[in-house]
Amino acid sequence: MAARPMASRPMTARSRRWSPNRRTRQAWLTAALFLFPAIALYLVFAFIPTLEVFEYSLNRWDGISPDREWVGLGNYDRLFSDRIFWEAFVNTIEWTAIIVVINVGLGVVLAAILARKIKGRIFFQTCMFIPVIQAPITTAIIWRWMYQPNGAINEGLNAIGLGFLATPWLGDLTTALPALAIAHSWSTLGLSIVIFLAGLQAVDDELYDAAKIDGATPIQAFWYITLPALRPVTAVVFVLTATAAFKAFDLIWGTTQGGPIRATEILATYMYKRGVLENNYGYGSAVAVALLVIVTVAMAVYLYMQARRDD
Amino acid sequence: MTKSPIGLVLAATALSATLAVSALAQTEIEIWVGGEPGTTNIYDDLAGAYMAANPDVQINVTKVGSDLFNPVLVPSLSGGEGPDVFMYGTGPGQPAAIINGGLVADLTPYYRQYGWDTVIPESIENTTSSDGRLWAVGNQVENTAMFYNRAIFDELGLQVPETWADFEAAVDTLIEAGYTTPIGLGGADRWPISHWQSMLFGRFASPAGVEEVMFGDGAWTEEPYRDAAALLQEMAEEGYFGPSPVANGYAETMDSFWAGDIPMTFTGPWIVPPAIDALGDGIANFGSFQLPPMADGQAIHPTEDIGSGWYINANTEHLDISADILDFFFFDDGSRLMLLNDGTIPIGPLTALLPESSLPPIMAELRAQIDSYRPNGTIHAFLDTVTPASMTNVTYDGLQALLLGVMTPEQFVEAIQAEWEVAKADGAILMPGGVADN
Repeated sequence: MAARPMASRPMTARSRRWSPNRRTRQAWLTAALFLFPAIALYLVFAFIPTLEVFEYSLNRWDGISPDREWVGLGNYDRLFSDRIFWEAFVNTIEWTAIIVVINVGLGVVLAAILARKIKGRIFFQTCMFIPVIQAPITTAIIWRWMYQPNGAINEGLNAIGLGFLATPWLGDLTTALPALAIAHSWSTLGLSIVIFLAGLQAVDDELYDAAKIDGATPIQAFWYITLPALRPVTAVVFVLTATAAFKAFDLIWGTTQGGPIRATEILATYMYKRGVLENNYGYGSAVAVALLVIVTVAMAVYLYMQARRDD
Repeated sequence: MTKSPIGLVLAATALSATLAVSALAQTEIEIWVGGEPGTTNIYDDLAGAYMAANPDVQINVTKVGSDLFNPVLVPSLSGGEGPDVFMYGTGPGQPAAIINGGLVADLTPYYRQYGWDTVIPESIENTTSSDGRLWAVGNQVENTAMFYNRAIFDELGLQVPETWADFEAAVDTLIEAGYTTPIGLGGADRWPISHWQSMLFGRFASPAGVEEVMFGDGAWTEEPYRDAAALLQEMAEEGYFGPSPVANGYAETMDSFWAGDIPMTFTGPWIVPPAIDALGDGIANFGSFQLPPMADGQAIHPTEDIGSGWYINANTEHLDISADILDFFFFDDGSRLMLLNDGTIPIGPLTALLPESSLPPIMAELRAQIDSYRPNGTIHAFLDTVTPASMTNVTYDGLQALLLGVMTPEQFVEAIQAEWEVAKADGAILMPGGVADN
């Protein structure tokens, strides 16, 4: 039987569907090959451990013994009635809010200043970025000394006649958390500034020239040109800053260990105390999962609102 | 004589084979020691002495800071790896998990083989054993005391106080002289406050009272513990620990103490070896004393506990050698003398060793105090190591709250009792230990 020529084959639903040609398939294969290591690493070092933490949270486990006792949602049930967990939750929100306000608010202002051709710009940019590359525990040691009752901050306040403001920053229930949030911002602000500076590169100088001709003051130009232009970048800074704040641990552990009392207890330190120090990995994992859910929901809500505003 | 090339090759081969075999024959033992820099150097010396006597053994001592030690050690043990020998906590809190998890070796056979029972005091055996088996060897005896600056005391005409009224008067004098922090505390690190708690609880309740709570039906809410908490709070209110007792960490406090900015601090002998390194002869300016009785009819009970336990990894391939190293470090007279000369008090009887030791005077003074009051009965120096880990955080938070005046003594003892009852119901408290006869 003679073969029917291809051209005369009737069009079926299957053949009408788009099918990638050889070149496209090759491109996909190449992309997949390049992506594979990253995806594999992500799965092995992030996704699977996260699933494991969730599994631990459904058990009562000391972290060492081969035997785990299945408690289902028991750890979560306990979590909801755990007063200290809620204290840590409120502290985490307060801590994150302070850091986001500083890093986004001050970050954009400093970036706008550093974007201008001022003298020593590179020097100031470098100074701002050095704390970012510093180990968090180093930051903790520096600020622990600075905040001591006879540390640099109080000595400085005394020297300029503001001694009445001197206080035991980390030993006071009301000042400890904001004081550490400022220290955290100090160590991360440089990254926010760099991102904002990158965003400012994309703003057309002609907009500023036009505003100048129209008689706009620098503050008006900042308000009506710079800020709207930086909105997408602001979202990036917000998400990075907030997630870093939610995850913070080293700085607090290296200074107050969550104290005095529980004034600086955030979910990350509480998770460590319950899980690692008390060998209660099941409950500690439940705290970790709660933290993950909180961060994910907060970021999703923010990005959704941002997307709606952009639309 | 002509040398055959074949002979040379054979000789070289034989030499390399011998070297290779001797290298293979050397057993490597990994020891992990936890502690702050400078406080554990003696273990390098002991390892050196052991290796000198046992050239076929290579000991590698790794030191890790206290904060990082457990987070590093536990995962490595769980993973079936980690050091052959390591330091770890004792009591019911930390070691329960590694013992129950089968990660540490049972030392009972070595306890009998080496006759450790003649050296380890019963009180220490209680905190290093469970289910009739010995799991750890206590590394050193630690007694807390009030360390003070002799020069400041001399300058202000102060004597070591013999009554509580004397002590209060001394603190008042120091405050009047401008020492805003008469007693350094390091409350930001939380655990230094528990040294005060341990001593005050023991003093007010007596050793028998504390044992009644630990192993009987007593409760932390009883009057002596409430009174002890009340005294600690009162001292804080009166400025004994300075204007901000929880603002400074332990390291900063000790720096200020050695610098002469703080006249007194209540702490333990682990500070002595690094201080001798740093101050040299200047250490003679410092002394120690036991706080006088705080109430009528109260006796001075010295505090005494062990610093840490030394354990052997259950997965070690060199169990016998590891046990031999423990025996050498802590039971050999020469090693015990080295420990003493370093200012580290080994566990067990020291009567024969003390005369020939060059124990630093500040340590000899402390030792003499302890010995003179020992007949009154000793109390725990570190209640936080012999109570469950879940209680430790509640206690630490509560102690800070007491010092800041945001918790009453009644609330404090009720909080720790509540946690104690939960731990007791879970079987997570210290059980009377002791090694079984057979």
